[in-house]
Amino acid sequence: MLRATHVSKSFGATRAVDEVSIEIARGEILGVVGENGAGKTTLMRIAAGELPADSGTVEREGRVDLVHQHFMLVGELTIAENLALVDRARFRFSSRKTIEREAIAKIAESGIELADVSRRVADLSVGEKSKLELIKAISKKPATLVLDEPTSVLTPFEVEELFRVMRRLSSRGTAVVFISHKLPEVLAIAERIVVMRAGRVVEANATTAEELAQVMVGPIGPIGPIGRRGPIGPIGPMGVHFGEIVAIVGVAGNGQTELAAKLRDQLRDAGHIPEDRTRDGIVAEMTIAENLALRAKRWRKREAAGHAQQMIALYSIRANGPQQRAGDLSGGNQQKVILARELDRRPNIIIAAEPARGLDIEATRFVHEQLRAAASAGAAILLITSDLDEAFELADAIQVIYRGTLSDRMSPGEARPRVANLMAGIA
Amino acid sequence: MRRLAYGVVAAIIAIALIALAGAALGHSPRQLLSILVNGSIGSSFAIEGTLLKSVPLLLTGLSVAIAFRAGVWNIGGEGQFIVGALAAFLASRFGVVASLAAAMLAGAAWSSIATAMRMWRNAPEVLTTILLNFIAIQLLGWCVNGPMQESVRQYPQTDTAGAALPSLGGLPIAIVACVVAWWMLYRTAEGLRLRATGFNPFAARWAGVNVSAQIARAMAISGAAAGLAGGIELLGVTHRLFERFAAGYGYSGIAVALLANLHPLATILSGLFFGALVTGAGELQRTANISAAVATLAQAIVILILIVFGAIEKRRRWPS
Repeated sequence: MLRATHVSKSFGATRAVDEVSIEIARGEILGVVGENGAGKTTLMRIAAGELPADSGTVEREGRVDLVHQHFMLVGELTIAENLALVDRARFRFSSRKTIEREAIAKIAESGIELADVSRRVADLSVGEKSKLELIKAISKKPATLVLDEPTSVLTPFEVEELFRVMRRLSSRGTAVVFISHKLPEVLAIAERIVVMRAGRVVEANATTAEELAQVMVGPIGPIGPIGRRGPIGPIGPMGVHFGEIVAIVGVAGNGQTELAAKLRDQLRDAGHIPEDRTRDGIVAEMTIAENLALRAKRWRKREAAGHAQQMIALYSIRANGPQQRAGDLSGGNQQKVILARELDRRPNIIIAAEPARGLDIEATRFVHEQLRAAASAGAAILLITSDLDEAFELADAIQVIYRGTLSDRMSPGEARPRVANLMAGIA
Repeated sequence: MRRLAYGVVAAIIAIALIALAGAALGHSPRQLLSILVNGSIGSSFAIEGTLLKSVPLLLTGLSVAIAFRAGVWNIGGEGQFIVGALAAFLASRFGVVASLAAAMLAGAAWSSIATAMRMWRNAPEVLTTILLNFIAIQLLGWCVNGPMQESVRQYPQTDTAGAALPSLGGLPIAIVACVVAWWMLYRTAEGLRLRATGFNPFAARWAGVNVSAQIARAMAISGAAAGLAGGIELLGVTHRLFERFAAGYGYSGIAVALLANLHPLATILSGLFFGALVTGAGELQRTANISAAVATLAQAIVILILIVFGAIEKRRRWPS
């Protein structure tokens, strides 16, 4: 159906795709997983014929259509007009009525719900826009349909709807490729999973979470020396898989602060929740809106106030409004502002240091819920904590830090009897 | 709004104290005040004098405000003012625009020396900028006594610069600079990050802000503003360079910026106020024989009052 053999592609000095062979059968749902930059999108663009390969061959039977991560829609036109653009020649002299009738038919055929085709695309929600992209692609009747990170803007309900559509397509013989870095979703829908890392396929037939976990090396580290009475050499293996929480536990002052600072400088795009929230977390003199916008690309006062208002509601921050000084908030609410800033942009990696220290029960529970939700949405989370209860409650794996050195990775069960001794440096 | 009130109150108290001091020396406070007011805004001649003095103060005040906003203590306005003027003089034969551009570049380069020392050896810019002032003063002295001395070699000064601005031509430039700086600080994402860096560099760094880059940029912009002040003073007012060219404008900028609470738009008002004060003090010296140094005295009083206000504010917020 679709077969790529020994395909390679370089951009400048980086080898985006390196000697990759991949085959997709009729009616198959294939998951392609890997970190950002692993080469998933480039490989599929080559397969779809959007990009020429430097070497290797691609054999296609029928159309291959790719639904991109970013929208390829004309905002000024209506839903119907955007769908008509797919085959422009046919609709050149059509009336609005015909165009809309055809659009409704196409939508019905795709099995996706999207009401009122006379709406301007610019007015649609992101979820609706991605639905429209999908309808557009399906209407071309491709033999193979490639979906690039389609769930990133969808609500859980919309994800379910998408999965139903994918299954329907596959039952009619269309091959569906699902590119994602969210393991739980891929496991839920794909019949076979291909794992890519650094431009290569490292596992072509994984079917279970365990198999995947073994091949996907975590996004964090090896880490260099971090000091604090620690060794001069590397501090040992450290890895967090996407979708899991790894806790680093230890008595305060054994290098946790240095580790977090090191990760902050090494992983600039990750979400960072600093240990000392009054010093490192918020700018007390600035407003909530300003604090939330510190990582934003643009700063428009009104827009930022609107966003802050949303965050205040979403993270149940107790505040008078977006213009309140962040320094006047209680500790728990300051922490919620930090969470909102760091988690709301859905980073792949989250480093949380003592995220619930000094918070009341309710706020603690809220913080823990947010971290769990981020993990189940596919983020890799490193939890640095001196609170063992917190570690055992949240973590999928535990490592102990003592004098700047990390212990092996342990499951919570293995860790329970050993943690105390490791923290004291006895074992 | 409360900050604005603080500034106004501080300015009023400063003037009142000067009047009282005059009374202690046997003058009538009312008479002193009327001389001060008449001498600064009482006639079109006085107003022109006030505006002339205000232009460099506006810009050096802006220079200090931008740096302080980013949390860097650039008190090297005097030196940046001087090298700005030197560069403006050298580039003046290429026209006004080139000359002022050279002034800004030179000011930025001069302040960036302090940035470089901070980045490489962690040298505090409070010290390095002030020491760079002395170097700039000596450099100017050497230039006007040596290679750049006037062709007739009579006085330690340069020839007339090759380009000139109308005497008040700098005023619109200075006001535009303040508005642009305000826009940059309060209406752009980078300005937001610059202010965050000034308030709390730790939190800024954790929020992904490149703190070093913010500091370097703020320092360069700050130096450019002071350099521009020097260039404008040369092209619009003195037309020549001489040893006492800077006349303390760089240092006065600190008072201007503090009275404006480091706000670029308030800097316009604050610069005009101090410009009026300096001009009025000149009149005091001429008619009442009171040293014009009272203007400097007023600057010091304003700063002290603002420090007291700041302490009161802090205690109100965090009662001990």
